[in-house]
Amino acid sequence: MILIIGGSFQGKLDFAKARFGLTEGDVFICDEGTSALDTSRKGVAYIEKWALNRVQAGADPMEALPALREDAVVIATDISSGVVPIDPVLRLWREACGRINAHLAARSDEVWRLFCGLPQRLK
Amino acid sequence: MSTYISGGCKNGKSLWAQRIAKACGQPLYYVATMLPHDGEDEARIRRHRAERAGWGFITIERGRDILGALEGADPSGAFLLDSVTALLANEMFDGNGVRLDAPAKVADELTEFIRRAPSAVLVSDYIFSDAALYDALTEAYRRGLARIDRHLAAACDNVLEASAGLLTVHKGALPL
Repeated sequence: MILIIGGSFQGKLDFAKARFGLTEGDVFICDEGTSALDTSRKGVAYIEKWALNRVQAGADPMEALPALREDAVVIATDISSGVVPIDPVLRLWREACGRINAHLAARSDEVWRLFCGLPQRLK
Repeated sequence: MSTYISGGCKNGKSLWAQRIAKACGQPLYYVATMLPHDGEDEARIRRHRAERAGWGFITIERGRDILGALEGADPSGAFLLDSVTALLANEMFDGNGVRLDAPAKVADELTEFIRRAPSAVLVSDYIFSDAALYDALTEAYRRGLARIDRHLAAACDNVLEASAGLLTVHKGALPL
């Protein structure tokens, strides 16, 4: 598995496509309405949006996280570095995303962080 | 030798930028992009001026149409531009509504800026890793700033991230 993290709009998806040869069709793009991940596809982008959907539905994203492909390329926006949100749902979201990222990073062969479009290999 | 430096608030970006600019050549220019809106801004500007005192900077105040900062200046000098963030805010929210084409304008003009004045140090702000859900306008601003960051990171020789006063080199080297 490969994990690509970084702040919003830093070039994570562009990097995933260029470095790991993913096409548009290879990548499942999560949005606010994503209640289930499509684990048949190699790329899973913006897993934090799926996590927000789950938290809003009262579920724990860590428990709900399905098994991903061994060759999966997962893109996760890092939302960990702001003020603790006043909204309790956003607080749960923020913590769940931190746990998910650490969990996925521990199982990944490569972990990358994107900054201003530039990749830095963390693992 | 152009340098792009970003990072979180109060992590040492400006001080590193001053050191790098001073090592880049003479004359030494400080391009201040903040347009003060209230007493808090004026106090911030006074504090920044005091921090720069004795460094030998010639201050150029330019909040919009940034290429105008080079008029009458020696382009072989060192230019510290602080900050890209304020420049985009001025261009995007100019009092006559929102200009959604401002990020493309600022990216193009800053690219031209470093072409004309290659010893430039540009300071931006990393505002992309929090758990807030922003309104569409704020998201457009964040997306626009990231677009400029990525465009200029590709164009500059060095790209640095400041964290707790320390630097990570993402591209090139620390030019000191």
